[in-house]
Amino acid sequence: MPRSTPVPALAAPAARVHESLVLEPRDVRFDWAELPLHWIPDEPMATHVINVLHLLLPEGERWFVKVFKEALPLIRDEQLREEVLGFIGQEAIHAEAHQEVLDHLLAQGLDPRPYVRQIAWLFQRVLGDKPGLTPARRRENIIERVAFIAAIEHFTAFLGNWALNSPGLDRAKADPTMLDLLRWHGAEEVEHRSVAYDLMVHLDPGYLRRVRGMAVSGPLLVHLWVRGARFLLAADPTLDGRLKPTWREAGRIARRGLLPGPVRSIRSGLRYLRPGYHPTQEGSSSQALGYLATSPAARAAAAANR
Amino acid sequence: MDLHNPPPDLYGRPRADAFMRRLTAFGDRYSPALGGPLLRRNPRRPYSRPTPQLQLVVTARSELATDVVELLLADPSGGPLPSWQPGAHLRLALSSGRERHYSLSGDPADRTAYRIAVRRLPEGGGGSVEIHDTLHPGARLTARRPRNGFAFCAEPAVLLLAGGIGITPLLPMAREAQRHGLDWRLVHVGRSADTLPYTDELRALDPHRVVLRADDEHGVPTGAELLAHAPRGAAVYCCGPAPMLTAVQRALDGSPAGALHFERFGAAPVTDGEPFAVRLGVDGPTLEVPADRSALDVLREARPDLPYSCHQGFCGTCEVRLLAGAPDHRDRRLTPEQRAGGALLPCVSRAAEGETLVLDL
Repeated sequence: MPRSTPVPALAAPAARVHESLVLEPRDVRFDWAELPLHWIPDEPMATHVINVLHLLLPEGERWFVKVFKEALPLIRDEQLREEVLGFIGQEAIHAEAHQEVLDHLLAQGLDPRPYVRQIAWLFQRVLGDKPGLTPARRRENIIERVAFIAAIEHFTAFLGNWALNSPGLDRAKADPTMLDLLRWHGAEEVEHRSVAYDLMVHLDPGYLRRVRGMAVSGPLLVHLWVRGARFLLAADPTLDGRLKPTWREAGRIARRGLLPGPVRSIRSGLRYLRPGYHPTQEGSSSQALGYLATSPAARAAAAANR
Repeated sequence: MDLHNPPPDLYGRPRADAFMRRLTAFGDRYSPALGGPLLRRNPRRPYSRPTPQLQLVVTARSELATDVVELLLADPSGGPLPSWQPGAHLRLALSSGRERHYSLSGDPADRTAYRIAVRRLPEGGGGSVEIHDTLHPGARLTARRPRNGFAFCAEPAVLLLAGGIGITPLLPMAREAQRHGLDWRLVHVGRSADTLPYTDELRALDPHRVVLRADDEHGVPTGAELLAHAPRGAAVYCCGPAPMLTAVQRALDGSPAGALHFERFGAAPVTDGEPFAVRLGVDGPTLEVPADRSALDVLREARPDLPYSCHQGFCGTCEVRLLAGAPDHRDRRLTPEQRAGGALLPCVSRAAEGETLVLDL
């Protein structure tokens, strides 16, 4: 069993550390054999709201990788290209890590496949390549998808920052391996939070592009999350469909520190639209890198790679 | 996956999923609409230009310790250099075409010059020897802007572990720790006392927090001995030869330290490699892969946009399809089915001597 790891305290020069970080994927492994179905004990709703991550991320992050690979030939800056390559590797590992949880859910009698089938359709068909576009329109499609990803990455950084600062999950005795997955992933999201945004601005600095990215991705993400939570609670074999998610209940759970607050989340989405926005204004690279230096999974990966 | 028939209802009800239907219709209209007015990049807006490389001139050179020279690199016109933070490195392009990373060992507050220290390694790849032999005051060279793969997070308690020339990134960290009043310790180990650079500068920061240790007097320290200097719960920053880092990693769990930072250097040197060849497509050009380079390295010269990331065979980003040839798979990512289907990771996978791998590129 990995040790439960306290998140390191923030120190003084935190905000400055972010400049020009080298991004590299970490080859982490998690062992899910012991993971209980409700990994926040006696909190099926909080568990499943967070579990929606595992439904969305494998397909979503594979799509990020695909779009960013297509964007590579459009990049005219060597440092940005290196950051994008680091981002791609990190996202590829994230997708696999969450896929394993999905496989574990199925083994525990919760069949996630109907929902995952829809998410696969969304990312591969709705947001996938459209045949017959002119090169100019194809290029516009790539940039537009980068703008969707930049908006989604704003939320993943917000959620990552929340995961790194969520003592409520420790108090509720959430499973330590799952906490490490969430915080490792969250820390890497904070670490690479600028890459998608910088890539979007590099390809198209227009404000309209940024707004469209959030206008499409933000509401879609919220809707998919609500749908996913409702689906998981209905599919949970131990609940017999007795538990219905409500906003009131979500607010109550958020106040106990088991979920990010709905109001805070929406406010965060609106900050993305501020003219002077940059992802470095959210979260702390120091805290993220500090966690990655303690994370049992990241440490085991580092030791195995020597 | 089936991309023709929309997915069924989430709860198995015998009807099409309305949300999925609306999303699909939206996507089918949105994609072709992009490129029209307001739905495209403003054509009047200029494209962003790549960040130019730094042009630097050597302004000073001194012998720091046996076989170690220190160089000061400045802007030829005397202007301020791009800022950096402790742990950052500079990638120098040498006149032979070699590229080498060196950690910045100076003070980030000093924007007039970058300071690096280079140990002469006669058995190395030739970069350090070239620097020792050719970079004298007045010499010009180009470099990339500083990047940081070893960021200092300024935890309340830190232990800095340096092996030999590995002191270079840790010296600015010690300075920053001292400036912020952190509870810090620094242990510097090396073969003998005369090979340890920056001794006086470290002692000047705070002699009580610095431990210097020469192997010829005290023997090679174990990981546990090094970590015994850590304040309880400290974050360790380690930079030194690979055996030292491995020893520290192994001893970490039983030590007072709580976290370990170290710089990761993507590609490991190729071991047990034989020369082979790759062909880009059935009728394409054939490229020779030397025994000490990866196929990815060679492929990137011909195809600069080839994606890659980890260099170690675990992330799968560089996956290519093999059309013919007998590969030696060395990755940790692909399943036997994927390999049977022709997947190959050229960042680590190779082939036997004389073999040609035909790739779908």
